[in-house]
Amino acid sequence: MTYTGERIERTLLFGKRKRKNKNNPYAYRKSAKTPWGHPVVYVLSLLLVLICVVPVLYIILGGFRTNSQITRDPAGMPNPWNFENYASVIGSSTFWTELVNSLIVSLGTMVGVVVLALMVSFVIARYRFRFSRVLYTVFSAGMMFPITVAITPLYLLLRNLHLINSQLGIILPQIAFGLPQAIIILVPFLQSIPKELEEAAQLDGCSRLGFFARMVLPLSGPGVSTIAILSFVASWNAYMLPLFLLNDSTKYTLPLGVQMFSSQHSVDTAQVLAFTSLSMIPALICFTIFQKKIVGGLAGAVKG
Amino acid sequence: MRVKSVFAAVVAAATVVGVSACGGGSGTNADGKTEVVVWMNSTTGDGKKFWDDAAAAFEAKHQNVDIKIEAIQNEDMDGKLQTALQDPSSAPDMFLARGGQKLRDVVEAGQVMDLTDKISDQVKTQMKTALDTTTVDGKVYGVPQSVLPGGIWYSKDLFKKAGINETPKTWDEFADAVKKLKDAGITPIALGGKDAWPAAHWYYWFALRECSQSAFDEASSDLKFTNECWVKAGDDVKNLIDLDGFNDGFLTTSAQQGASSSAGLLANHMAAMELMGGWEPGVVRDLTPDKKDMADLGYFAFPEMEGGEGDPTAILAGADSMSIGAWAPQEAVDFLNFISEKEWQEKYAEAFVTIPAAKNAQSAVKNEALQQVLKVYDQASSVSLWLDTVFGQNVGNALNEGVVNMMAGKGNADDIVKGIEAAASKG
Amino acid sequence: MSVATSMRAKRAGRPRSDKFRQRFEMGVLSVPALIMFIGFVILPVIMAAYYGFYKWKGFGKPDVNGQFVGFDNYRIILSDPSFQQALGHTLFIAVMSLIIQGPLAILFALLLNQKFKGRGLIRTLIFVPYVVSEVIIGTGWSLMLQPNGAVNAVLKNLGLQGVDWIANPKIAIWTLMFIISWKYIGFAVILMIAGMQAIPEELYEAARVDGAGFWRQQWSITLPLLAPTIRMWAFMSIIGSLQLFDLVYIIWGQYVSSTAGTSTMATYMVREGRLANNYGYGSAVAVVIFIISLVIALTYQRFVLNRDLAGATEQRERKQYERRAKKRERERMAESEIEAAIVPNNASMEVSAS
Repeated sequence: MTYTGERIERTLLFGKRKRKNKNNPYAYRKSAKTPWGHPVVYVLSLLLVLICVVPVLYIILGGFRTNSQITRDPAGMPNPWNFENYASVIGSSTFWTELVNSLIVSLGTMVGVVVLALMVSFVIARYRFRFSRVLYTVFSAGMMFPITVAITPLYLLLRNLHLINSQLGIILPQIAFGLPQAIIILVPFLQSIPKELEEAAQLDGCSRLGFFARMVLPLSGPGVSTIAILSFVASWNAYMLPLFLLNDSTKYTLPLGVQMFSSQHSVDTAQVLAFTSLSMIPALICFTIFQKKIVGGLAGAVKG
Repeated sequence: MRVKSVFAAVVAAATVVGVSACGGGSGTNADGKTEVVVWMNSTTGDGKKFWDDAAAAFEAKHQNVDIKIEAIQNEDMDGKLQTALQDPSSAPDMFLARGGQKLRDVVEAGQVMDLTDKISDQVKTQMKTALDTTTVDGKVYGVPQSVLPGGIWYSKDLFKKAGINETPKTWDEFADAVKKLKDAGITPIALGGKDAWPAAHWYYWFALRECSQSAFDEASSDLKFTNECWVKAGDDVKNLIDLDGFNDGFLTTSAQQGASSSAGLLANHMAAMELMGGWEPGVVRDLTPDKKDMADLGYFAFPEMEGGEGDPTAILAGADSMSIGAWAPQEAVDFLNFISEKEWQEKYAEAFVTIPAAKNAQSAVKNEALQQVLKVYDQASSVSLWLDTVFGQNVGNALNEGVVNMMAGKGNADDIVKGIEAAASKG
Repeated sequence: MSVATSMRAKRAGRPRSDKFRQRFEMGVLSVPALIMFIGFVILPVIMAAYYGFYKWKGFGKPDVNGQFVGFDNYRIILSDPSFQQALGHTLFIAVMSLIIQGPLAILFALLLNQKFKGRGLIRTLIFVPYVVSEVIIGTGWSLMLQPNGAVNAVLKNLGLQGVDWIANPKIAIWTLMFIISWKYIGFAVILMIAGMQAIPEELYEAARVDGAGFWRQQWSITLPLLAPTIRMWAFMSIIGSLQLFDLVYIIWGQYVSSTAGTSTMATYMVREGRLANNYGYGSAVAVVIFIISLVIALTYQRFVLNRDLAGATEQRERKQYERRAKKRERERMAESEIEAAIVPNNASMEVSAS
């Protein structure tokens, strides 16, 4: 039995070592030791960044222009800068209502996906039963069921459940359709938690569930943040389900709002661009904060 | 079989119970007021204001009613309505309907209220002709708010600039006008091909001119396009394309959304004319830079086709009508009769810059182009609905797409007919 | 796995209760997700299969308001040239996505896997298109790609003649390909970076000692060890392509995509189903899409992915078996070094242990 203890000690030790290791994804942080790269690296990276960001910047900067500026010179810079578009969008209640709706739907979906996927992934990853393999096959097959395919019967189903025009009606299916990807990412992650930790926990009188709560949850942090962000972003951007389900404009999420706004203010391209820019901010912020964790989380998932 | 029907009955009963338990779109709201949900397609400007005002005026008279106006973007309307109508609890009590097969579909599904005995005398007498569009098998299922005859809308200034002094009456004159406009560096025709129907309208008109009245009506009812006039109409579309008069990128230009839409091009003098229905002055007004009426907007009837068998005065028109859901409360019918009164019809005409359905309100039409339209409308030998409305969504969409395909250089007149037949087999 | 079983399990003696208890736990943990999954994912697909046998306008119930037509809908779908075109476009997009995004993503990932100041910021920025919604991307690009839009304005300033990027049927599909690649390559890059970071540094050090240059190292170490990541990304990319809807629907609208040559199976389904009011026919299209996706996915799993995805649990069992074997033969720890080279995720641990 000393052997097991030794193993745990060593694993924990390596765990710590790992965190210090520069090569390790979780240890990725600003460090005084990071060198400056070769100029070629910067030139190439800059080029890449420009390609990715310029179209988005076009939308954001377009919001600072007037319509006549846009018509006269479609590719120009704001001159002079015009802040009215953004001010009027921020001052409108429509934007805030839709923002809150989107937040409710996205956070609801995120929490649901994380909780349910963690539970199932734990079963798949840590229980030695034929059942767990069946589970994995069932859920990974779910990757092939696009929400697009199921949309019509899904609509009819939700209608029978009286979930039309409600946020819950969007959250529940989104959780269900978000599970497969989340499970595929989480399972390898949970599998990589050393068996020895679990054995030790058992010796300490911890049940499997206790082990789940005390060891698995903290250790699967990067994997959990990855699926949390991915499901949040997916839900934030979702278009088709809300399009089919929501008729009441006070329930609209932002993507529908963007569409509605652009048809209501169809002449006012600049204001549409302002509205559009503001609607992407929350997802961008959310992603920027957790970007490092995502790399770590995916690294855990793909190394299997 | 017995088991099946018993099962169906149980499901139906359960649905009814579920729906009534839930309350749903109609019914009573928290203040104890009867709620009437209205879906219309004016998302902006005076049109939206008209509905809000009408609702407020009705509510002032009827304290116990709460009219909820919801604006749905026109291109989304058919799809949204279609899904919403399947469920009375999410469906509107009163909604925009345009007659034809589309109305027949919902009538057959038992989702629309029979209004034959419920409409007011005003509606019965003053809207008599327009009521044809919403009558199915002798029963009235909707009340028209406006009649929308089609034709060509143009900018008088741009025509003058190109040296065109008289509006074209025949196809040759029309082709000549297009050439003059092009020579003057003006885009002759605006076309919103992205929404498909604006392109298809050209085909409808050509068919109306090429086909005899009987051939046209026959095909409308039995969906067989064997008469060669339908192919001839396709050839006319080909000739039209050969004039090369459309705006750049017309395939991805939308009809009404934004300054770069086809209506926007006309409104901003970036194109000289557009083939459209009677809603055009109102749509164009919202798209001019100052959102005021387009001062030089003119109208002329669709040109005569040489050798065509159709009557040159025949016209195509639409009607924007409101129908009532089968589940709606009496108050919804009252509101519909209310807005059909002369006073509100006049306000409607003003707000939408269009021709009201009620004869006694038509004197309120002040817009010069619309007065021209009224003249053409009154002299028309026959008034037919848009073909896509007549055929319903399924076949109508296929027809529209066939025309768009042809305009993009894919396929010919035969393919349009083939597409229609293929679509008929899908529904 | 019912409550009763678990109660019995609790009352039973220690040795047997373990198994029951385990089953109970598994039940508690997996049933909620299973219910959601079956209820909202599987059930609708089964319902679609049922509706697909009817001609049905969507009103009421198909067996009452519709007409049973057997496999008629399927026959019409498969012989409909518009569907064949849509299928062709979809497959084209799926294949081209792999060809365009794959190599580029690996190259970009190699670039961004270098250690240099500011790489965190750059990584975040290249992910921006992925995070921004399809509605916004679609709206933005269709504005820029209009004949008189920003892209052609820039080209004009450079002295080049612009074209109609969206409406021209010869160009439209490539425009779509470009927007897709632009939007989704960020995800591929992040995935590749993640895969690269799982490759132990020691292997590169060893290769350097052997005198291998940078590209040689990437070719013989990175690429082979990145293979599971690439296979997984390819799978996700293919599935994504098969479902493509939002971008096409927003840029090309409800009707024009088939004319412009950018229609996909999903836009065909929405157009022929929802927009044309044919709910029975639309459901049959859904089933066809599903079957095509399933066949492609299963083929891919069978021949390419089986080690990574379907076999993940078996692999785990294999590893556990190996671990137990190791326990018995602890003295032969040297073996673990070979193991390290094969199973990268254990590598750093085992190497430092020995």
